Amino acid sequence: MKKVAFKTLGCRLNQYETDAIASQFQNNGFKLVPFDKEADVYVINSCTVTHQSDHKSRNFINQANRKNPDSVLVVTGCMANNAKDELEGRDEINYVVENDQKSSVYSLVEAHYNGEIFHPSKVNSDLFSYGSTDKGFHTRSMIKIQDGCDNFCTFCIIPSVRGRAVSRSIQDVLDNVKSVVANGAKEVVLTGVNIGRYEYKKYKFDDIVEQILDLDGDFRLRISSIEPDGFGDKFLSLLNHPKMTPHLHLCLQSGSEPILLQMRRMYNIKRFKEIVNKVRSVRPDFNITTDIIIGFPNESDQDFESTCNIIKELKFGHVHAFKYSIRKGTRAERMTEQVDEKIKTLRSETLREIADDVKLQYRNQFIGKEQIVLVEKTDGENAKGYGEHYVPVEFKGYELKKNHFYKVKITDINKDIDPVLIGEQVK
Amino acid sequence: MRSHKVIEIRNLTPSTYVIKMEKKDFTFKTGQYITLGFSGSIDRREYSIYSSEQDNFLEVLIKEVEGGLVSKKLKRCKPGDYLDIDGPFGHFSLKEDEISKKKFLFIATGTGISPIHSFIATHPNMDYQLLHGVRMKEEAYERESYQNNNYILCTSREKSGDFHGRVTEYLKENPVPSDTVCYLCGNCHMIYEAYDILEKQGINLGPIHTEVYF
Repeated sequence: MKKVAFKTLGCRLNQYETDAIASQFQNNGFKLVPFDKEADVYVINSCTVTHQSDHKSRNFINQANRKNPDSVLVVTGCMANNAKDELEGRDEINYVVENDQKSSVYSLVEAHYNGEIFHPSKVNSDLFSYGSTDKGFHTRSMIKIQDGCDNFCTFCIIPSVRGRAVSRSIQDVLDNVKSVVANGAKEVVLTGVNIGRYEYKKYKFDDIVEQILDLDGDFRLRISSIEPDGFGDKFLSLLNHPKMTPHLHLCLQSGSEPILLQMRRMYNIKRFKEIVNKVRSVRPDFNITTDIIIGFPNESDQDFESTCNIIKELKFGHVHAFKYSIRKGTRAERMTEQVDEKIKTLRSETLREIADDVKLQYRNQFIGKEQIVLVEKTDGENAKGYGEHYVPVEFKGYELKKNHFYKVKITDINKDIDPVLIGEQVK
Repeated sequence: MRSHKVIEIRNLTPSTYVIKMEKKDFTFKTGQYITLGFSGSIDRREYSIYSSEQDNFLEVLIKEVEGGLVSKKLKRCKPGDYLDIDGPFGHFSLKEDEISKKKFLFIATGTGISPIHSFIATHPNMDYQLLHGVRMKEEAYERESYQNNNYILCTSREKSGDFHGRVTEYLKENPVPSDTVCYLCGNCHMIYEAYDILEKQGINLGPIHTEVYF
């Protein structure tokens, strides 16, 4: 039996796409092995959103080649688009597959073993033709509803590597959700590059969310990362639906108005706060997590302070912060006032401390309350999973099973860097 | 990416010009922008579309940037040259249901007037007032395109305009009715300041739309 190993970098959409490709390999007789083990095929689903992601992707290419120089090495994802020439020039890489052709990775490898060598540009380029993710790496079932982005934020390379915004047909999405729920999925996560801009014929994002929520079945819906523009009040009202999980990853990027303008974000701080306050007025413990870019060109101490203040004020459940790095071809590349790396590092440390404090405060409020936890790992008596707020929970119980919901009483919190709620099954 | 033949270059000032190109089957929503560069070149820049949706040509308004790579090269292009266009992009658009019903305030600085020109050329019957902030009178690019009473030229370096000072100073002296729909296009500082002033004058967040020019 041939062995295949995967490494995924970056966003949830990449995770979904890896899950789907991995399922396809397994359905065709491949054995899935960890990336640090010897495999016949290595697939690296890369990211290029920062310098650091490029660096990591290169390291994993080297690692795979060291483990088995005779393996079939496939590099796909955003770095495959952005650094195609460089990657195609490396002898150890067999296939550099751009995002458009990513769903055909298995077909390329299959053809390779049959002695047919195709150039990846000659294979199917359907953005939504991924198969099921039933044998993937995640308990939650991700559903791709959209790809690409037309926002062209000045720092962002994604529109160049993922292409223009395209939405999947609403019927395909609904059929996909029905199918994964029928196969036992308990949590459905919507993914895409900019899902709030979903638009298929007359249907917009709030329409598709409403129709998914109206489907029968014992499942809950999670919205993954979403931009604060592009959706309206109808979507916000759907957040109270019993099937909807109380969590949004709402990308802020900066707490400074001038910086948001220079990033060409399509909202201001007031609008962002309005959304958060509206959501929390109905459900005060609603988990809002966010992304922050540190050291965007022209970011002054005052701008940075505004970002720190809004993190404290809005009490984000988690802040994914990363240092700005120049992406070639973006508008921000040509901005003259780049921030010194040392300042970015200092600001990152300051922000991380604030974000960690706020996260702990947010999670502390669950002690004494109950969570509905979807189990991801268990030995039958101890289990790990996520509650409806997307906060990690570890608990004890009886005959616990993976991919089942359990009501858990939260009794304590483990105060690590990523604090985990501790609890016991409610019988 | 599509190649479009250049029809004409129209110089408006020593540094500002309009490139008129074949439209072919290109469609866009007024207010959107394209990326433009010489055919085959990797150097491209974003420009808002200056012409109207219904024109059978495509125009962009460009200011030559000191030390700029693309705007300098584009200024030297000639009728018959081919330029690569990608797009249209952007969400700086009018709402269909407001166009004939609402009163609009457009605020632009410099070549930020480009998408506003496209709005007005596409919908000439709109009820609007346009504040155009420039340094000198010569930068009132093709002001004859706008109904005279609706166009207010704010000049900051000389007294030759309709108002001497920045658009933000004009706004402070001339408050805007709170039911006005506002579109702001130009440099970041103007947008930031004007936004603040408009909010203080009672304009709600929803009807203020912005597009930053660098």
